Amino acid sequence: MLKQVVRWSRKKSPWILHLNSGACNACDIEVVAALTPRFDVERFGVLLKATPRHADVIISTGPVTRQIKDRIIRIYEQTPNPKFVIAVGACAMSGCVYRGAYNIMGGLDQVIPVNIYVPGCPARPDAILDGVVKLLGTL
Amino acid sequence: MNDVEIIEKTKELLGDKVLEITSPSPRRIFLKVDPKDLIPAVEVLKNGLGYAYVATISGLDSGENFEIIYHFAKPSSQLNLRTLIPKTHPHVESICAVIPGAILYERELQDMFGLIVDRIPDPRRLVLPDDWPEGSYPLRKDWKYERPPEKIPGGKS
Repeated sequence: MLKQVVRWSRKKSPWILHLNSGACNACDIEVVAALTPRFDVERFGVLLKATPRHADVIISTGPVTRQIKDRIIRIYEQTPNPKFVIAVGACAMSGCVYRGAYNIMGGLDQVIPVNIYVPGCPARPDAILDGVVKLLGTL
Repeated sequence: MNDVEIIEKTKELLGDKVLEITSPSPRRIFLKVDPKDLIPAVEVLKNGLGYAYVATISGLDSGENFEIIYHFAKPSSQLNLRTLIPKTHPHVESICAVIPGAILYERELQDMFGLIVDRIPDPRRLVLPDDWPEGSYPLRKDWKYERPPEKIPGGKS
């Protein structure tokens, strides 16, 4: 019974943290666009949070630079369990055009575990929403 | 002041410190000086000719030497001050005494080329990551980068 309540509440209010790990800003604009009333993410209970300590889902854009690697691990460790990570955009998936550059570690999965990948350059707001809903479907 | 007048005035003010001065295209002047004459040349450009704004400083690795190009700009024209630094003794004088804003470019020059800028007010690292190994300079031509092996989550399928 308690488990069901916990699962229900977890599913109905995924609070997100928007994290830029070195993106070109295109994916960030799309993430912000997905949060507008036009797409109305709040019907899924999605709420943007300013700190990882309040968030359940980290939505990360961009390739992981060498400078932000340690910081991103710290942000991931600050997020309370259970935590989920969504990699938005081609860069967060594999590094894309930045792959192999001297200051890039590669995709987000080189540094922290990733649950959902959303492809696109940049990913459309619909696609980002679909990724979040797919993640909620796995809970 | 047009290009010819600027060239004449530069020659007049700098005298024999000018190694080479050309104007390859309109409103653009290339001036070459010896590294030891750098500070007087920058002073003359700033106070005598009105080139008070350094747009950027770029470095060039041409095998034997480094070429450092100071891009000076004013609304009417651009002037590129060039100087050759031998790779065996990569020291260049800081121009921060004359133009304080040049410090960011000089710190970047130190990071990316491994040049040593003498008398720089603040020699900390600027653009490279904190855990970057010492003695490895990405913009040198002989620098090789090995990409670390990638992890594939869940393994190959």
